[in-house]
Amino acid sequence: MLRRLKFSGALAVMLLLAWVVCAEQRFPPPDFETAYRLPATSTPAARQLWRQYADAGVFLAALAAAVWLIYKKRSRRGLFWLSLFSLAYFGFFRRGCICAIGAPQNIAYALFDPEYTVPVTALIFCFAPLVVALFAGRAFCAAVCPQGALQDFMLIKPVTVPAWLEQALSVVPYVFLGAGLIYAGTGTGFVICRYDPFVPFFRLSGGIFILTLGAAFLLAGMFVGRPYCRFLCPYGGLLRVASLASKWRVRVTPDVCTQCRLCEQSCPFGAMREPAPAETGARELGAARRRLGWLLALLPVLVAAGAWAGSKLSPAAAQLHPGVALAERYIRQQTAPVQYGLMTPEALSLQRAAGDPAAILKAASDLRRRFDLACWLFGGWIGLVIGLKLVSLSVLASRTDYEPDRGACLGCARCFTACPNERVRLGWMPAAEKPAPL
Amino acid sequence: MNASPFHRALWLAAGIAGVFCLLVCATMVYEHFAAGTNDPWKSPQLLALKDKLAAEPRSQPLQTQIRQLDQSMRRRVRLRLALDKSGAWLLLGGALALVLAAGTAAALQKTPPMPQPKTDAGEQSQKLAARARRSLAGVAAAVAGTLLAVGLVNTSVLPANQAAWQKLLAKAGAPETPAGEAPDEPAPALADLQNNWPRFRGWDGSGAATQTNFGTNLAWRSAIPAPGHNSPIVWGDRVFISGGTEARREVFCYNVTNGALLWQRAVENVPGSPPKVAQPPPVDTTWAASTLATDGRRVYAIFGNGDLGALNFDGAVVWTKYLGPLKNSYGYAASLAMWANSLLVQLDAGDTPDEESKLISLQGASGRLLWERSRPVSASWATPIVVEAAGRTQIITLSKPLVIAYAPADGAELWRSDMLGNEVVPSPVLAGGLVVLFNPGDKLLALRADGAGDVTNKCIVWSNEENVPDIPSPAARGDLLFTVTSMGMVKCFEAVDGKKNWETNLDMEVKASPGIAGDRLVVLSADGLLVMLRAGRALEEFGRIQLEDKFTASPAFAGGRMFLRGATNLFCLGPVGAPPAKQP
Repeated sequence: MLRRLKFSGALAVMLLLAWVVCAEQRFPPPDFETAYRLPATSTPAARQLWRQYADAGVFLAALAAAVWLIYKKRSRRGLFWLSLFSLAYFGFFRRGCICAIGAPQNIAYALFDPEYTVPVTALIFCFAPLVVALFAGRAFCAAVCPQGALQDFMLIKPVTVPAWLEQALSVVPYVFLGAGLIYAGTGTGFVICRYDPFVPFFRLSGGIFILTLGAAFLLAGMFVGRPYCRFLCPYGGLLRVASLASKWRVRVTPDVCTQCRLCEQSCPFGAMREPAPAETGARELGAARRRLGWLLALLPVLVAAGAWAGSKLSPAAAQLHPGVALAERYIRQQTAPVQYGLMTPEALSLQRAAGDPAAILKAASDLRRRFDLACWLFGGWIGLVIGLKLVSLSVLASRTDYEPDRGACLGCARCFTACPNERVRLGWMPAAEKPAPL
Repeated sequence: MNASPFHRALWLAAGIAGVFCLLVCATMVYEHFAAGTNDPWKSPQLLALKDKLAAEPRSQPLQTQIRQLDQSMRRRVRLRLALDKSGAWLLLGGALALVLAAGTAAALQKTPPMPQPKTDAGEQSQKLAARARRSLAGVAAAVAGTLLAVGLVNTSVLPANQAAWQKLLAKAGAPETPAGEAPDEPAPALADLQNNWPRFRGWDGSGAATQTNFGTNLAWRSAIPAPGHNSPIVWGDRVFISGGTEARREVFCYNVTNGALLWQRAVENVPGSPPKVAQPPPVDTTWAASTLATDGRRVYAIFGNGDLGALNFDGAVVWTKYLGPLKNSYGYAASLAMWANSLLVQLDAGDTPDEESKLISLQGASGRLLWERSRPVSASWATPIVVEAAGRTQIITLSKPLVIAYAPADGAELWRSDMLGNEVVPSPVLAGGLVVLFNPGDKLLALRADGAGDVTNKCIVWSNEENVPDIPSPAARGDLLFTVTSMGMVKCFEAVDGKKNWETNLDMEVKASPGIAGDRLVVLSADGLLVMLRAGRALEEFGRIQLEDKFTASPAFAGGRMFLRGATNLFCLGPVGAPPAKQP
């Protein structure tokens, strides 16, 4: 019964997204021959400044509340209600924009386009969670991110992802981050936003691909805790790094760890880490040191290899830029003409290109040069990320208790109430029933 | 395990919500695919009808059929969108109920964990790290493989290296110099511009020829294949005019010596130009009211639908560009102007200054946009002049309510004056170092051109309110200014201080602007009476010539000849067999 319901629930969510495809249709203008004047196409006015600041204020307040609930109140219930608020406000009310996940692209775009000025609110949304992470870990992920809240809400029957697979897939967000930044820096577009699988929910609008992707993530999210946050979210990757240096960290037990492993069972995100061996033999220690040395030496090789592989990507990657795509279409049209319909976007763009082909091709040439450099950097970045991950997996840990991984812990507070010591502290169980420490 | 009534109720609610969601989804998906053919972008039926209409643009039944089909599709699509919106909210509510009920039921069914102590956790941790490294290596290989595969399966048709790019750019005519710099072609020499008649009312727009000897015999007359109000322009041994209809707009080239039509070329298939113009120019304005311009290499023509074309002297089209739609209630009539190698087009539009008026500069060789300046003015019919005044080169433009001067190199605004209260048809001239213009029906104004910024009420040197012309532009030579009203009142002023030297009433309807050839002021009536007065401080009539045609275009002077465009014929007055003007 449960399985059937889960299946039908997932199906419902997927189909929920399907309707939005229709809303994406656009009409060609009617062929008026009278004196009627078509209204000029206009873009929505920018959100009023005070409203933008109000959003930033709400955002900062939510971050502060999340930190307070994690570290002071240790309240899972409080975080749940805060995440519902975030889902309602930043998700459905603000329609997923502005959000911290896409904000780094604003920064990258501004770095390479002097005509673009980053809004103050974008700066706040981009840097506030990172600054908080330096002190208090991923409080943003805990209850402020609407995407995370939506996935958390969908989690019905969590299963454990093998730790080795989780570690290996944890580099994917950095690849996505690199791609998002190069496309933003080259002015192609904000691909992190474009391929955010949950924004179509918030806006009740989206294309078929992104709707299918969102449905897939929600379906997986019923069994795998927050799959997007753990295996794809580029901003989560940044927060993971910042959290490694956090001043405070989430501590499961308010007392001595009894190593009962209840906290490990309670974490749906695979963030709990086992204690390290009490002693490491000299032979194992020597092998570990040699391995670490080799991997450190391999690091520049991986960066160079990545840069070389990335350089091969440039022509293909540049085709996503509208300017390059138009030049491609124009050249193809010269060699193998395609008959596009009247007034279709393709036909109109070709007319524009034919009006001044030299300018179109010159712009494409300049863009291709920018992509050459960007793809070198992108490949090198991937090599660096993989190299550093290999190094981090070769460093011997020094944990004595079960404790959350600083980078991976989302601060959801589920593990708190799973701990017998915490339950005793809260008065939920008598101290006599507490298991004895090992 | 026996489930409680609450537990059973949760499962029941989840089941009902699931079925509800499925039903709503099925309905919406069916509606989506069933209504796919209603997309006006893609409907084969509608597209086929539109293609058919392009071939038969005047077919009323076809137009009616398209309108009805289009309206029907839009109505159905709007209905479906409304249904989608309702369905989405129903689905959202159903999904929420499903997740809440199923989640709560699952939580109630959950078995409390009983983990056992793990004594080998440390060893497991090391084994796990080793396995993670191997899997990470696999992920790295997959990422690298994907990058290489995507890169190697490259479908780009653009050049792969800089040398190939350079070749492609050179082929496409991309300038090596940045936008705004002078192109490689040398600018036409001043002497060549002065010896010819390269634009409306001569090289500086004053209506005065620099040559002194002009004959008045009828050398030849040639038929004009298509109507148009534009005036002739002359370069070397060729005289150019344009004409057109809704179906076809052309440039005509004649031999100056014998009037033979050397070629006629249509400006057609202009990219972006719609096959049917939503707001065609009034019949009285014609499709070819704007006078052409030339730099001695190419001749440029603009038509009432917004098509702009550059043709070489052999009649081959060099480039075309669509600048429309031209929002002008009386039809577009401003003529083209040149500065160095750039073509200047004054595109004033609309009935209020809020419309999209602009002045643009295009590279003559390629049509590439060099600069564009937005203008807060309404539609106008005056032609800009490019003159040396107050030690700088200035483009002087007129349009209600502003006189604006621009720098021709980059379009920077030099000065402006808010002084035009009426619709402006006559073009300005430079006379006695002053910019002279008409605010039609109100004043003749002479302005200093040495200001900067807004010079409203600060730049007027003198003005005159008597018999202000509303159509013909003034003519000027040196310090003398000549004006002609539509009723034939001719006046001569001192340009420096506005002192009137003389006036005479010719009592004839005049639409053409006067011209100065040698020592003669030429005034041409709409009925073809050409009156020649002395272009001096004393009034003297040299003679009259009657031509058999209707005239609205202004005369052109070059190579000792006078070219007059009538409604049906192009006339040349001058010595038979005289040599053509000097060629570059």
